[in-house]
Amino acid sequence: MKAAIVVFPGTNCEKDTFEACRYFGLETEYIWHNETNLKKYDFIFLPGGFSYGDYIHSGRLAKFSPVMQGIKEFICHKRGIVIGICNGFQILCESKILPGALTINISNRFICDDIPIYMGEKEITLPVAHKEGRYIFDKSTQISNLIFLKYKKNINGSMLDIAGLYDRQKRVIAMMPHPERAIFKETGSKDGCEIFNFIIKEL
Amino acid sequence: MKFKAEIKVLLKDDIKDPQGIQTEIILNRTGIDESAKVRTGKYFILTVNAKNEETAYKKIKNICENVLTNPCLEKYEILKAEKE
Repeated sequence: MKAAIVVFPGTNCEKDTFEACRYFGLETEYIWHNETNLKKYDFIFLPGGFSYGDYIHSGRLAKFSPVMQGIKEFICHKRGIVIGICNGFQILCESKILPGALTINISNRFICDDIPIYMGEKEITLPVAHKEGRYIFDKSTQISNLIFLKYKKNINGSMLDIAGLYDRQKRVIAMMPHPERAIFKETGSKDGCEIFNFIIKEL
Repeated sequence: MKFKAEIKVLLKDDIKDPQGIQTEIILNRTGIDESAKVRTGKYFILTVNAKNEETAYKKIKNICENVLTNPCLEKYEILKAEKE
């Protein structure tokens, strides 16, 4: 199976995501954010970082990159799965591919830590590293069946402790934690494998 | 013709603004003003090309709603829009 990792100006987690994908046997390529033809891929990753320097708002300018039109078609034609990690989650929300938005943490601080997360009933530990991870949604949005990950202890003020979401068809999946940083024992935890296993084998 | 607009962007009223809250705490603690309220935001100066005032206004509104804000999160106000 083939995976593409989208690189925007300012993306900085592409290498970790690449190594994680390769570890799971995916034939992986980087693609620049002006690519629109995504037909040959099964997975599209929007990795973490600071696309367009987070100018105006995180993910705001990246939503205008040509690749986003390709991603909308990719989802529409059910070609595969789109995964947004951290800044990728922000981009997917800003593009309205997922509902809601992410704004500055309630503590006003950048949080960089390993924290406990609920993936359904299961508790795992994943690294987080963000300043704009407080998830907000309109009260009119039906969100309860879209929740993928929850913080055990709400670290950033997210509504309903939301740390990750999928869309109704489970073709788009996004999260603030960085599973790609918890794949190899050298980086302290292998719990990120739970996320990759779920994405690659179960979806 | 060129039209210049000044735009103010704030988080929506029901969304907590941690930078504002922190500033309030400082103002209260230092005694500068014990009951000060602070909301932080962004200010943009935008110049657009348009045939007339009406199309300029439409263009500015579109930029506000699609680029400068996310309606789910932020609100905006066009403070001034005039021919340059």
